Amino acid sequence: MDASCRLAVAVEDLFKCFGSLEVLRGLSVSARDGEVIAIIGSSGSGKSTLLRCINMLEVPDSGTVSIAGEAIKLKPRRGGGREPADQVQIDRLRQKLGMVFQSFNLWSHLTVLENVIEAPIHVQKRPKAAAIDEALVILEKVGLTDKRNHYPSQISGGQQQRAAIARALAVQPQLMLFDEPTSALDPELVGEVLRVIRTLAEEGRTMILVTHEMGFAKEVANRVIFLHQGKVEEEGPPSQVFGAPRSERCRQFISSQLRS
Amino acid sequence: MLAGVPLTLQLAFSSIALGLGMAIALALIVRAGLRPLSWLAESYVFVFRGTPLLVQIFLVYYGLGQFRPELQEIGLWWFFRSPYYCALLALTLNTAAYGAEIVRGGLQSVPAGQIEAARAFGMSGLTLYRRIVAPIALRQALPAYGNEIILMIKATSLVSTITLMEVTGLAHKLISETFRSFEVFFAAGTIYLLMNFVVTRLIDLAERWIAPDLKRENRVAMVPLDTR
Repeated sequence: MDASCRLAVAVEDLFKCFGSLEVLRGLSVSARDGEVIAIIGSSGSGKSTLLRCINMLEVPDSGTVSIAGEAIKLKPRRGGGREPADQVQIDRLRQKLGMVFQSFNLWSHLTVLENVIEAPIHVQKRPKAAAIDEALVILEKVGLTDKRNHYPSQISGGQQQRAAIARALAVQPQLMLFDEPTSALDPELVGEVLRVIRTLAEEGRTMILVTHEMGFAKEVANRVIFLHQGKVEEEGPPSQVFGAPRSERCRQFISSQLRS
Repeated sequence: MLAGVPLTLQLAFSSIALGLGMAIALALIVRAGLRPLSWLAESYVFVFRGTPLLVQIFLVYYGLGQFRPELQEIGLWWFFRSPYYCALLALTLNTAAYGAEIVRGGLQSVPAGQIEAARAFGMSGLTLYRRIVAPIALRQALPAYGNEIILMIKATSLVSTITLMEVTGLAHKLISETFRSFEVFFAAGTIYLLMNFVVTRLIDLAERWIAPDLKRENRVAMVPLDTR
């Protein structure tokens, strides 16, 4: 077997520009099963775009993305750029990824419980009773059992983000993607969300976490990647990246983050 | 005059049902943005919203009556000869134009982030529309569409001008017999009011059912339905 088969995700040489703005400039990142990777960097460094390219919410201009050893097929699009060549493949691979967004993006017409069982029932075609049973276990884990019949508009931001994490867990993902999960939250609500993410990390789930919470990244990540202008500038265990960064830019970024 | 209520309701609800189907088709065409088609749909909406319904009714019934030989030739005269079908056609074409704008607004109001979330979980195509886009659009569009239903019930009074004996038509007839215009029109108004009272209650119930969290009294906290 190819060594890349043990990788939950492999991203090679990604380029992506929006108009004349080059956001990703030859980025390669991979995550092994069970790894927790924190991606840090100043805004505009390409962190979120990288995450969105992994599940093809943004289609990279060049480079490859492989999920669990399977490369996502892309084809040139008329008028420039590329587009998915096989929607069925994308939909299938996306079910292996649990995405958590900065602004939660819970479906507003569904209750918390309905949000959690939506993809298992209507995408993965699992039996409804089993999906509900499992959803209740997950909601218990994120501490939302008593809010399961509330609509997103009726609960706090922290509760919404925990519901969004529950929704991502319900598809039994092989890889969790967190796109700045606490950036839209009031400071007093950040803790409850980080606690849930920490629990998931301790369970040995494979996760890629884009974050501004340096202390949290240092604590839960096996590996920290510092992005600068669409490239990996520094990469290594937290002790190295936070303690003794080789790159001057990384050192400056971390000291500026710790000051604020 | 109560004898006119069935015809009024029949005209209103048939045209609303047919018009809604057309409205959804028009809104989807405009949204898809395929050039010649979307341009046609936009022009349609512009023309039918921009001209009076009464003129549209006259144009269909009297105007097309001018082309009787041609219509007979293509076998459509039975349709355009009938004031009922002409009224139904004009009402349908009119409400479709307004409905298309309401549906378009509803679709536009679906937050991009929620569609993106659905895609991220592997939804696409029809499932995405059926499970996420359509229900959210419906929640947003329902109050405006309820308004359109009420307007249509009242708009049916215009078809009395092409000999149809619905509530207003019967009112006219009654006045010509009794010369009691105040009492008769007052009673006619009351009948429309009662019909719309029932309709507003039904719309309110539908809103409660489809968007329970958007109702003001439920905004802050909803009592959990079961406390298992």
